[in-house]
Parts: sequence; structure tokens; C-alpha cells
Amino acid sequence: MAGLSGSGNEGSRSQLLGAVGVVLLSLVTVYLPSAPQQAIAHVVRQSVLMPFTELHAFLAGMRARARDFDILRAQMDSAMGFVAAHATLAEENRQLREILLLGQRQSVRYLPTSIMRTGTSGTGSVFRVAAGTGQGVGPFNAVVTDHGLLGQVQQVQTDYALAIDWSHPEFRVSAMTSDGENHGIIEPVRGRFREQDRLVLSGVDFLAELEPGTEVLTSGRGGAFPRGVRIGWVAGVSETLAGWSRSYYVTPSVYPGAVTHAAITLPVATDSVDSVTPEAPADPGAQGPP
Amino acid sequence: MTSRAAALVLGLVVAHLLLRVALGLGNEAPDLFLLAVLLGSRHLTPRSGAVLGFAVGLLEDAFSVSSFGATIFALTMLGAAGAQSRYFFVGKSMPFLVSYLALGKWLRDLLSWLVSDPATRRAFGDYLLFESPLLALYTSVVGTVIALLVLKGSGRA
Repeated sequence: MAGLSGSGNEGSRSQLLGAVGVVLLSLVTVYLPSAPQQAIAHVVRQSVLMPFTELHAFLAGMRARARDFDILRAQMDSAMGFVAAHATLAEENRQLREILLLGQRQSVRYLPTSIMRTGTSGTGSVFRVAAGTGQGVGPFNAVVTDHGLLGQVQQVQTDYALAIDWSHPEFRVSAMTSDGENHGIIEPVRGRFREQDRLVLSGVDFLAELEPGTEVLTSGRGGAFPRGVRIGWVAGVSETLAGWSRSYYVTPSVYPGAVTHAAITLPVATDSVDSVTPEAPADPGAQGPP
Repeated sequence: MTSRAAALVLGLVVAHLLLRVALGLGNEAPDLFLLAVLLGSRHLTPRSGAVLGFAVGLLEDAFSVSSFGATIFALTMLGAAGAQSRYFFVGKSMPFLVSYLALGKWLRDLLSWLVSDPATRRAFGDYLLFESPLLALYTSVVGTVIALLVLKGSGRA
């Protein structure tokens, strides 16, 4: 075989065997258990890729600081108005719960963080959040924005985590209509192109007909997602299993590609001091939901 | 591998990381990792080509959650095959270069699709018969221009 440095059959055979060995090694990486895969990927992310992720964070921070001050001011005024209008609501709610002998709601605190998306292949529904176990983040914590549910944390390291958004095929969330009458499971359905990805609410009672525009929230069942986070609005009927259940298309409230900052929900014990302690942002440039 | 070819591979890898990781661009940016492997392996032995593909694939898969290893496998195969191809095709002609890069891109998508998680991968027809050929055309045009500009006179694409 011409062209090899050590020409001759021995050299070419050794080269081919070496190439086959590397190919086999690459196949091994595909079928490794998840833990070693995560460990290898973590080492690469924290070494070779670190300068590029840092550069991304820097550019995202610059973009966030360049946002229109008036828009941020208007958002803050709206939030202040909302808080003022609902100042007595928490106390009324507590008294009503006491009267009805209901337990206290599970408390949730929000950890603001920045979102980073890479354009590498296989990461279309994956994003990196700038907070990890060091800030109390754990697997399956919800990631939300001021518009609603964005996704869920999957892999957590000390100072960052990888999460999936609602368009990931493995994403599931238990949901209900805002009146709490109808429940089901939300899952993504892939379109022919990524822009056509949408959500489907399945398992709704056959006799319950949901009108387009009905708000859909997380129901809190299973404990992974806090109750009451907006997911989207009913867009129309997707499928009907005669006599059994209906499925509905849901227009999502959050479009993942547009999100640069979000908050991770961290469940806290009801009587914990953390529930009244303000959380410091994981990223100074991060903007959390109201 | 000539110093010019080595510089090209390094430059393509860094440019890919800048575009796709630092700037977060998706398919708007050409697959420069693939071009680095396809163009670089033509100057390497099969074993070294496979190692180049493995290393570049590892960088690409570092952010993958559900299909880790799919790109590593695809690029390793292409690195070995690209190095082997130089014994059959001299590769100075433009038609060869365009078809070599386009076929390489389509094979890369096919190989990674085959070994990726069936629960998360996209429909075969939509991805490999529609989107991937378009991306292959885009990649081959960009790759041909780069190869002609940088590797002019090196004897191999």
C-alpha cells in the first residue's frame, strides 16, 4: 500500500489494526454506563472547553447588561404592583388552611442562574446552568422563567449543571388546568423540523372538553416540579380515545431558544430558615423571575 | 502531516468551538469539526486519522446528555476511512473534494444516528433524507473553499 511511512504489508496491517482498535474504543464510549460517560464529559468540559464556556458566559453577561434599562424598570414596577396587590393573600391563605385543617404548602425557593446553549450536535434540547451542588441544585429540579416552565435539571456538578428543556424527548411533567379540575401528563411531540416541536397534554378525562386558550399548570404530582408553574395554553384536540381519554396540543409559554436567564426551583422544608432567607444569585448578571 | 495541514486542523477546531460553544450558533455555522477530520485525515495514517476523529468527537460530545459517544464513533470511523481513502483517490480535483466532503457529512450524520439513543433520535426520513443532505451540501461548499485557499499546492485535499 503506497504512501505509508513504514511501507509494506506489516506496516499497513499494523496501521489498520490500530485504526480498528480506536474504532472499537469509540464504540465502547457509546455503551459505557452513564456515570463514566458523565465523568469523561465533565473532564473535557472543565479543561479544553473551559475557555470557550467562560467566553460564552462573558458575552451573555455583556448582552444582558446592554438590555434596555426602561424595559427592566417596567418589569420591576409590574412586579412591585403585583406584590403590593397580593400583600394580604398569604395571610388569608394561611388562615383558610388552618380552618380547613390543611397542611402547609411545600415551600420553594428560586435560585437565579444564567443559561448557556452550545451549538454542538446532540445538544439541541440541552442547556447548561451556572449553578450546581454547591448552590443546592440537585437532579430533577425544575428550571423556570417568568413566563413559565422551561425544563428540568439532569446532571449536576459542583458549580454547574446540565438540564433539558421541554422539547427533549425524555421530558415529562404532570399537569392540570388552572382550575384544578382536569389532570394529565405533558410530553413533547417532535415536528418535522425543530420549530414545529410542541407539547401534548394526554390522559385528560374523555368527558372533560378543554377550550382553546385554557391555561395549563404543573400539578406538583410526583414532587419533581412545584405546583402551579405555567406550562402553556390548550391549542386544540390532538387525539381522542373513544370513551376513555383525550389529548390536547398545548402552546408552550416558554420558547427555550430565547431564554438566557432563568431560575432553578429548590424545595425547602416548611419550617426551614432558608424559606425566609433571600438567595444570592449564582451569577451576578442573572435575572430571576418575580 | 504538513505544518500547513496541522495548522488548518487546529484552526478549524478552534473556530468550531468559538462559533458553536462561545457564540452558541447551531447549524448556521458549518460543521468545522467534521472538516478538520476529513481534511486532516487525508494527511495521516489510518490509525492517526482514527485518533484525530476520536479526539474531536470527544470535544463535540462533551455537552451531550442522552447520546454520549455517538459523535465520537462517527468521527473516528470517518477519520480512519478518510486516511484510508488517500490510497485510492489522489484527490486534487474539485469534483472529488466536493463529493468527498458531502458524502463524509452525510455518513457522519448516518453513523451517529445509528448508534444514538433510539428514544431521542429524530425520524430517519426527515433527518437523513432531507436535512442532512442540505447540511452536507453546505459543509462541502465551505470545506472546498477552505481547502482550496489553505491547502493549495500541498498535493492532497
